[in-house]
Amino acid sequence: MSKLLSWIGAATLALCVCREDPAYAQESPAPLVDIHGFVSQGFIKSTDHNYLGKSERGSFEFTEVGLNVTKELGHNLRTGVQLFARDLGTIGNLKPQFDWFYLDYRFFDWLGLRAGRTKLPFGLFNEVNDIDSARVPILLPQSLYPVQNRDYLLAQNGVELYGNVPLGAAGALEYRAYGGTIFLDTSAQPIIVSLDIPYVAGGRLMWSTPLRGLEVGGSLQALRLDVEYLFPQPLVAAAQAGGSVPSTFDGHLKAKMPVVLWVGSALYQSGDLLLAAEYSRWRAHIESSVPELLPEVTENERLYGMASYRVNDWFWPGAYYSLFFPDIVQTREDRAHQQHDLAATARFDLTENWLVKLEGHYMWGTAVLSSAENGGISLDKLNRSWGVFLAKTTAYF
Amino acid sequence: MQMLTRTIQGFDCMASRLVLRRSLVVSLLCAAACLVVWPAPAETAGFRVIVNSENPVSTANGNFVADAFLKKVNEWSDGLGLEPVDQRTNSETRRAFSLAVLGRSVAAVRTYWQQRVFSGRGVPPPELDGDVEVVRYVGAHRGAIGYVSEAANLDGVKVLTIH
Repeated sequence: MSKLLSWIGAATLALCVCREDPAYAQESPAPLVDIHGFVSQGFIKSTDHNYLGKSERGSFEFTEVGLNVTKELGHNLRTGVQLFARDLGTIGNLKPQFDWFYLDYRFFDWLGLRAGRTKLPFGLFNEVNDIDSARVPILLPQSLYPVQNRDYLLAQNGVELYGNVPLGAAGALEYRAYGGTIFLDTSAQPIIVSLDIPYVAGGRLMWSTPLRGLEVGGSLQALRLDVEYLFPQPLVAAAQAGGSVPSTFDGHLKAKMPVVLWVGSALYQSGDLLLAAEYSRWRAHIESSVPELLPEVTENERLYGMASYRVNDWFWPGAYYSLFFPDIVQTREDRAHQQHDLAATARFDLTENWLVKLEGHYMWGTAVLSSAENGGISLDKLNRSWGVFLAKTTAYF
Repeated sequence: MQMLTRTIQGFDCMASRLVLRRSLVVSLLCAAACLVVWPAPAETAGFRVIVNSENPVSTANGNFVADAFLKKVNEWSDGLGLEPVDQRTNSETRRAFSLAVLGRSVAAVRTYWQQRVFSGRGVPPPELDGDVEVVRYVGAHRGAIGYVSEAANLDGVKVLTIH
């Protein structure tokens, strides 16, 4: 049903946007409606552990498909919608959803307003986390752009102000500020009774420096998660027997989690060279009805450095080193509390609209793994050194 | 005594490293300052940037032209809407323009537009087949801006000088 509604929505928008100012349509060489799409199919194989699905045996559950319609209704007004579906292990299962939709009115170059469901500008690459053709790596550095968290981090429903402010010899500033909420579908997670995000607000400021190709900036985001869990009785009984929860705990847990995320970013692009580095911290204060189960404060640290260089029209290698500490309040020391990720990618552009990528990761630490996907074994008992190999092909237009 | 000697040697070593590091940092800062203070003029070998002959603008900053083609700016200084138009991705003229004005290869610019298109941030300028089509389009649209090869016939348009 939701699939049907999605396609009806897209078709309606396509029909609406065709009814536009005829004078503008006649003058412009642009198509009446811009339609773009992509189809990606990947393969993931890991050693020692399952990562992003049942990857140890090798998995083709690594698919993304998107289709968007955009229409410029004059020089200042634009509207668009994108449908997206993916399958990544237990995530997505090819359920189509509105990835983004908006109407966008630009008053001046330095002030525009967008309303609808818009992608969150967080760091350099959050908005293209699921767009394989727009980058070199198959997996962006997972310290900053975890694919498992895509639903939390990708888009908001609300409004956004944006603009570009020239600074003369000092370069230019590009800003974006937004506020709204995030809708999350938790139907696939039975232990979550309810999840509400009363607000998300934030912004990004990027400075195009006088050194051509160099951009530096920062992003800030604040949100609150109000969540209610209902844990299954066998798990509750086991926790009570182990003494980790009080004997009065009946399985219900309510928590309010205000979270603040920030990232500092630097990007240099010249010719075919791209260099990027980012450093980020995410901090949450947790008010829980069962404080024994959740820590009062948790803060993590994330950083990476990445380089890519297009050697010729068809070959584009890249590499990055990414580091993630999930709980620096507790420790950075053991394998379960750190994740080093050294990745190398080879991107082959077979045609202008078709690419193939191969990628290898050397991983040290187990912080990005899940006990549930690895036979319930605690993260500090899993092998600390492991590897991931990925292959992916994407066609786009 | 040995401990004291080692400590002093340690400090000595650290000091010399600091001096080396400082020299390196100073050199890098000087190099960066040179790039900032004396930016290279926009080389226009292999192409000419053209605008409508009625457009009052005859010279423009290279950054403005780059931002126009990346749709970071959308208006001329008099408020007239900018209408950039590209050539096809396999065009030698586009290759030269892209490297000289945008500072990126055509492939890197295509990636930029992939990011914009699939994140809902905009669509690229339309692409035309060659010089004749670009000159015709720019000549017919007051806010248009394009680029053509040096050999193109420029009837009805004028060359924009980039500084």
